[in-house]
Amino acid sequence: MLKSVSRAVQLAARLSLSSSAPAVRPAPSLRRSFSRSFWSLSSSGAASGSRPRLLTATRALPTLSCGCGSLHTEGDKAFAEFLTDEIKEEKKIQKNKSLPKMSGGWELELNGTEAKLIRSLSGEKVTITFNVNNSIPPQLEEDPEHAQKSPEDEPEIVSTPNFVVEVTKPGVKSSLVFDCHFPEDEVGGSVSEQTGHGEGEEESDIFAIREVSFQPEGDVEWKETSYTLNTDSLDWALYDHLMDFLADRGVDNTFADELTELSTALEHQEYIKFLEDLSTFVKCK
Amino acid sequence: MGVVLRNLQNVVPLRRAKLRKDVEVLRHIFGVQRFDMGIICVDNRRIQRINHVYRKKNQPTDVLSFPFYEDLRPGKIPCVLQREEYNLGDIFLGVEYVMQQCKETSQDLHEALTVVTAHGICHLLGYRHETEEEWNEMQQKESYILSEFNRLTGSHLEPLTKRSTQDMRP
Repeated sequence: MLKSVSRAVQLAARLSLSSSAPAVRPAPSLRRSFSRSFWSLSSSGAASGSRPRLLTATRALPTLSCGCGSLHTEGDKAFAEFLTDEIKEEKKIQKNKSLPKMSGGWELELNGTEAKLIRSLSGEKVTITFNVNNSIPPQLEEDPEHAQKSPEDEPEIVSTPNFVVEVTKPGVKSSLVFDCHFPEDEVGGSVSEQTGHGEGEEESDIFAIREVSFQPEGDVEWKETSYTLNTDSLDWALYDHLMDFLADRGVDNTFADELTELSTALEHQEYIKFLEDLSTFVKCK
Repeated sequence: MGVVLRNLQNVVPLRRAKLRKDVEVLRHIFGVQRFDMGIICVDNRRIQRINHVYRKKNQPTDVLSFPFYEDLRPGKIPCVLQREEYNLGDIFLGVEYVMQQCKETSQDLHEALTVVTAHGICHLLGYRHETEEEWNEMQQKESYILSEFNRLTGSHLEPLTKRSTQDMRP
């Protein structure tokens, strides 16, 4: 069950389904799978916060002399150099230096990795909230025969965050809240089975509603006693009405596509910022 | 199950509930309420790609049908032995193509989609229009279905005129 709406967004951020490493962002010119895969040696994975013990306490650490009082090792120096190159490359491939604009008059508010899109429509207020953390679906391992691809063949990294839609009507204390996501592609159906229709053809809706609930307006605690409608076993006619309701308020497939563009740009921006902060932290000041 | 409706495009604003409601009426008239069916709404780019892959025609079209039961006698309701076989197949609606046609003919989009879906269901039930005889047989069926639809809903739908939409067979 979701907690407060803001926490809902954090909890709704996709967790890696893999038991090991989180989604890998490949370096543009150099695969970083080696450095990422080290984390996967830990049984609980890097995402849980545990760190593999790569160096034992009995071994002396190669240090560099410095007056700042922090530990600086040869490894740190190599790491800092690596990060400098990495940041340069990431900035080179950065598609959007500024964040893309959403059509439909949405106002954007940013708070780190969390974004809010707000719009008023004939007195109604519609707020979309999403978090770019864990918003990039893991890319499945290719068949070893096809594993060696050139950088141009690498699939594009797209951020598809879960998002929460709040619709607030004037004079009504509760907001109607929709927990939405970008579904994985559906496989199956007569076409797929008989003709291998999967040739890159997705057959899922661009976005889907997972849960619907009435909640107190604003960023307050999630009301656990409010009924939450789960769409897994929902009457499909009701589901279509809910989708039409959202479409009338500007949350349609066009919006969903633009949201992924915005989220992808924001996620990349935050990733670069993280690398820069990491570089500053690691470097000798 | 019932009707699995998917909207994979963002070119045409679609009223999902209305389309589903009309499809349910059609299923009832055809007598295939027990059968599952997929209705997938796509844009010109996608329908052209599917048309090219499966019919070697590199152009968009209004509807492509993928019957679960092939070689049905036209109009014969499939005889089903197992629950998972209550499946008629999938209909891909080229909604962008239909919208463009509607603009030329000043027709309502959702009414046109209903007519096109009826045509698609006929294909799922074995109707074809590769010969004049087949076309006449199919059009008779469509006319009946749509006249019943009109009677039940108060609409004024008419069947598709003779055109290039072909039977969906790879």
